[in-house]
Amino acid sequence: MISFQNFSFRYEESQDYTLRGIDMTVETGEFILLTGRSGCGKTTLIRSLNGLIPHFYPGEIQGDLVMDGHSLLEMKPSGLAGQVGTVFQDPRSQFFMTDTTRELAFGCENMGLPREETIERIAKAAKDLELVDYLNRSIFALSSGEKQQIAIGSVYALSPKVYIFDEPSANLDYAATKRLAEIMGKLKQDGYTIFVVEHRFYYLRDLIDRVFLIQDGKVEREFTREQFCALPEKTRISYGLRTAYPERDAKNYHEKERLFDGKHLLAVQNLAFSYKKGPDVFQNVSFEAHAGDVIGILGHNGAGKTTLLSILTGLLKQQQGEISFDGKKLTPRQRRALSYLVMQDTDYQLFASSVEEELSLGIKDDCKEKVDTTLDALELSEYRERHPASLSGGQKQRVTIGAAIVKDSPVIYFDEPTSGLDYDSMVRVSNLIEQLSNSGVIVFVVSHDFEFIVRTCTEVVQLDDHGAIQNHRLSPEILKTLSEKYFN
Amino acid sequence: MEEAQIKQIIERQPLHGSALLDPRCKILLLVCIGFVSYFLAGEVVSLALMLVYGAFIALGNGGKWAVKMIVTYIIVAYLNALLRYVQVPVLSVIMSVFGVTVLKLIPIVMMGLWILRTTYMDDLMVALQRMRLPQAVTIPLVVMFRYIPTLRIEYRQIRCTMDIRGISDTFWKRVSHPLATIEYILIPLLMRCLKVTDELAASGTTRGLELECKRYALRPIRFAWPEIVVSLLGILFLAGLLLIDQTKIGEIILWRV
Repeated sequence: MISFQNFSFRYEESQDYTLRGIDMTVETGEFILLTGRSGCGKTTLIRSLNGLIPHFYPGEIQGDLVMDGHSLLEMKPSGLAGQVGTVFQDPRSQFFMTDTTRELAFGCENMGLPREETIERIAKAAKDLELVDYLNRSIFALSSGEKQQIAIGSVYALSPKVYIFDEPSANLDYAATKRLAEIMGKLKQDGYTIFVVEHRFYYLRDLIDRVFLIQDGKVEREFTREQFCALPEKTRISYGLRTAYPERDAKNYHEKERLFDGKHLLAVQNLAFSYKKGPDVFQNVSFEAHAGDVIGILGHNGAGKTTLLSILTGLLKQQQGEISFDGKKLTPRQRRALSYLVMQDTDYQLFASSVEEELSLGIKDDCKEKVDTTLDALELSEYRERHPASLSGGQKQRVTIGAAIVKDSPVIYFDEPTSGLDYDSMVRVSNLIEQLSNSGVIVFVVSHDFEFIVRTCTEVVQLDDHGAIQNHRLSPEILKTLSEKYFN
Repeated sequence: MEEAQIKQIIERQPLHGSALLDPRCKILLLVCIGFVSYFLAGEVVSLALMLVYGAFIALGNGGKWAVKMIVTYIIVAYLNALLRYVQVPVLSVIMSVFGVTVLKLIPIVMMGLWILRTTYMDDLMVALQRMRLPQAVTIPLVVMFRYIPTLRIEYRQIRCTMDIRGISDTFWKRVSHPLATIEYILIPLLMRCLKVTDELAASGTTRGLELECKRYALRPIRFAWPEIVVSLLGILFLAGLLLIDQTKIGEIILWRV
């Protein structure tokens, strides 16, 4: 049993309390979903559970946090290692070792277990979680989904009683998310207590026992599974929550008209690509995009979405086929000049020392006026002097979109723009893309987020295993087949 | 699959020969090479150092790498010899000092990167712990060791965005604004580095990284007879080179153009 008793926490560097008087009791074996808007304090809550607060992130604590009769506050995170296991959001930055087998062994080795027992335990983890195929591989050769599974395995080998997942699906595609849900289901069956912090919680809807809605550092409401899944849409949106049934959105899709027929046309014909000595990533890829189209690029991890994006943006040269814009064939260099890519990880994209400078970077003509209007449109004016790195994730994303607008790119690409976003931020990104589309920009979006795709895209391009491609104007029927593919 | 089978897979060993030596032995040799390489003046002895350690690496999963580095070494040595014909005041001196420095660095780089590639992280952690180094030294070392391969991936990502943004995207821009280029690469790299190391540390901490128990790696780590013999031979060989360097052999000029 874990209970938060009037628990409050303030980070050392902050004035206000992030958590304020949390009272919450969780029984052993319960599956708990913690959700709420970004910045509501749910990450802080789980950091107190795994001991990172107050030892790793110092600050001021009031109240108590008790697990099975012992106060967790007196324990160090390393002392909790065998009891509370945490799987973090970004699979790239939670690996200490460079190969999978040793990553699985990492926790056990820290605990000073003898060799035979460590091997015993990782063999059990590999068997129970079906990780045998990933053993003895370099972690750099794994996809995000595979990395996430290894991360779970590494925690599993420590055999904790409590599992914490911090937005585990943020970097995963549908298949990997399904697999994640399977693993979580198994852990639940085995009687572990599980806490999950998540915005996109649709995949947990059959697993959760109770849901805590966190708002401004307090437990705003508590739901059972039935109550939570039956929340009326209005209430759900007022809490800033995503939907538990994204496939239901398919029915409500409104086809959008093409506003700019004939203004710009990006045509891709018979594109083919393979890496050196590797098999074809894809071949015979052809599609067209008109000004104002918002095209979702779909496909599972490894289907070649990133490669396609790299070719379209001119970072890679195709081996066959051509890409033309308004009838003119484009070289990779010309494609780079035409396009702008908003990456999932905005840290890679911010170079300048102020927001204002960031927007005008790399542009030769005088663009002060344009920068001003763009800053206004993106609600960034008050941050113009700030260093981009000091902004929040959503603001950083808006800065990169701003740079695209100032660059006047007729084609803008988004790579997973909504990973880890709450409802409000997702809607905001969607609206921004709609504005871009209304001004005649061609927008491509790589995304796994069905709710967002339904809301935003006018067309989808699907990459499948054979690298073939189909493109469809979106309609409720197509969305229905897509949702069946993803959710069943 | 049965657990016994899985255990076999876990214990399977892709490394062989000298790659399996205790990390302490490898590091000791690296340090010695570092010292000796700069004291060797003769061209024959320097080449001998390169060839013998190239062979040593080739015996432990490093054949291709050794050949690559030896070829690089010979090319750089010839380029250095060519410098004699370039007579620009000051610049010639700078260039030849630079050339010699690079030449001396090559054996160190060869050995260093080979160690990086053929050493399991847990072996390294155990070895460092057995050397009685405090955690304040070992943990940053291990995080660094782990971060080096990631750097390349991050660097490539950043270059891609720079190309799309149109900053330093041509050779000319890179040459004419070298400082700006470095700045554009360094800033995002540092930001990522801060974030990744923080998350890495958090993830390690929750899995007991800070516990000070005696560690055991997946395979036994011992500074046993093979390590002692290899270390002694390695050191004797280097000492021999230093001696021979003082004789007539040290004066032979190999790289003539």
